Amino acid sequence: MPLDTSTTYPLTRLRLDGRRWNELRLLQAQISTNPASSGSSYLSMGNTAIMCSVHGPAEGRRGEASGAAGSAGAIVEVDVNVAGFASVDRRRKAGGSDKQSSRIATTLRAAFQSHLHTYLYPHSTISIHVSVLSADGSLLAAAINACTLALVDAGIPMPGLLTGCTSGMSGSASTPRDPRNDELDPLLDLSLPEEQELPFLTVGTTTCVPVGENHMEDEEEETKVAVLNMDSKLHCTYIETMLAVGMDGCNQIRELLEGVIKGSNRG
Amino acid sequence: MSNQRQASSASQTPHLSPAELSYLYTSLSLPKSPIRPDGRSPTQFRPLTAESNILPGTNGSARIGFADGTQAIVGVKAEVEKTVLSTDTLASSEGGEGEDSTSTSNSAAASGHGSWVQMSIEIPGFRDDDALPVFLSEMMRESLVGSVADGGSDGGGDGGGDGDVTMAGGLKGRLVINKRWHWRLYIDVLLLSQPLSYPLPLLSLTTHLALLSTKLPKLKSQGEEDPFFDDDWEVAEYLYPRSSNLKAAGNASQYVRPPVTLLVVSVGENIIFDPSREEIAVADAVLAISVTRDTEAGNLKLLSIRTVDPPSRLTQPAVPNSENVNMLGATAPTEDIAVLNPATGEEEVPGVWRPRRGGVKRSVIANMVKTVLKKGGVGEEVLEGLEGVEVE
Repeated sequence: MPLDTSTTYPLTRLRLDGRRWNELRLLQAQISTNPASSGSSYLSMGNTAIMCSVHGPAEGRRGEASGAAGSAGAIVEVDVNVAGFASVDRRRKAGGSDKQSSRIATTLRAAFQSHLHTYLYPHSTISIHVSVLSADGSLLAAAINACTLALVDAGIPMPGLLTGCTSGMSGSASTPRDPRNDELDPLLDLSLPEEQELPFLTVGTTTCVPVGENHMEDEEEETKVAVLNMDSKLHCTYIETMLAVGMDGCNQIRELLEGVIKGSNRG
Repeated sequence: MSNQRQASSASQTPHLSPAELSYLYTSLSLPKSPIRPDGRSPTQFRPLTAESNILPGTNGSARIGFADGTQAIVGVKAEVEKTVLSTDTLASSEGGEGEDSTSTSNSAAASGHGSWVQMSIEIPGFRDDDALPVFLSEMMRESLVGSVADGGSDGGGDGGGDGDVTMAGGLKGRLVINKRWHWRLYIDVLLLSQPLSYPLPLLSLTTHLALLSTKLPKLKSQGEEDPFFDDDWEVAEYLYPRSSNLKAAGNASQYVRPPVTLLVVSVGENIIFDPSREEIAVADAVLAISVTRDTEAGNLKLLSIRTVDPPSRLTQPAVPNSENVNMLGATAPTEDIAVLNPATGEEEVPGVWRPRRGGVKRSVIANMVKTVLKKGGVGEEVLEGLEGVEVE
């Protein structure tokens, strides 16, 4: 019997690594790992390990930030580097950077450019450097979380923590969903073998911390989707379930990251 | 363009005024007892943090953080590859000795080939093919392979039985599985922050540590069979055999260690190890010295000395009072009389900065090499320090 999720999951209701559908992998994180940068973090989700360092806000390089865009607020630069030893087989990169890392960089830049309070730092640049030490799925989600931690460490103001998570379906899900015979489960936080086999999406959410007196009474925090990225094919009837599961994962991760940030003050 | 030039010279020069440069130079060149800005002795290194075996997905890995906050991570991955003889080995061997192709294949398969070790360096803000990463990786690969080439010629004489876990033929010889198969070693160096000072010593020490912790799976097949390995990672063998494992064996190979490249600068007659950025900025000469240990006696062997373009060449000179129009008549002409600097043989006014022209005396270089290589010297201290890092 081949060992893959779409054949074994319906039998056991357990995934390849023994998790249930709604379980996250072990998440460990540290901030202020690199004293040479303004802010830095290390984050591992399962076997995915990422280091992130933030430089700035600092005066941008001459000629780049002097345009109209630079005068309105800080420019976020993101540089993603997947190390040659990150995956199981060493991948030889052709030239500068590969497609995967430049896509992650573009998504991160768009997400944080609009998320951070960049208007506080006109004529400056915030440069984020992400190094993937070990890649085992959910790269974009892990990179979002690592960047958030590093930006918090750098003291750059943002309305709330931006956290990312992946969710997928336990089968190909190419036909419309049948409510009477629903045998596909949504899965949370996919690993690399699952990512290669199943449809999945990456969702990043943020909360707005209530500000001012009129917000004091509503206790519940409002969650907003800030990043949504999907590369695989899937019937549209499943999207809602996956999104709900992914956002729930984001909330779990947010609590973990808050714990990391609060814990690092005591030490 | 000027950025590019500065990057390829010894470091991004800190912005120091000629007066500051002159002050630094004078205190560093005090005869016999240089005064360093951070109060270290000339051979003292800055504290560093190191750990190895940090990445479970690699054959060997290490992280080192220097006191100035720069960090590097090195991952070593090994792959099995079929030995294909390149045309140049064939040509050189045939041209040299007129051997036929079978004995050529034997010699190459026995002693290994330098291209089996691949090295790439990632520095944030630099492309892969920029001058600095390419130069650094070639410099480090050269000393790795260089120790190999030397060991290889020895190995031809005394080490008949390759394929065993002997280090005959150095690193290259160790990569040979049998006549048809060999290991290919990928060394990926990741510098995690912008290089504050010249990153070579950091990268070299981290690579050394990663290679020390590198393990290859135990070979189960024998002789010329297709290679077949033991699944159990617990019994995997170190690429560089550790002395604790082989105490009983009494094997000379346990003393072989990967090379280490140290950065040494000379200021006047003084030799300074582990220079900080400010110290590099006023140095007369910057040298990268590679050493390794490959004999039972524990003696160190000098592999290579490379000069690095000293950034002091690019600094602005100061103007002595006697030539300064603004100070005309304000000072007595006797105040600044040019004297001969014994180290460089140039005339200069004390306390007035002149860009260094480079160049270093033979005696200074000889002294440097002696300080690195001597018993209980700096090289031994560094190697022992790195050996002490826990490798489990």
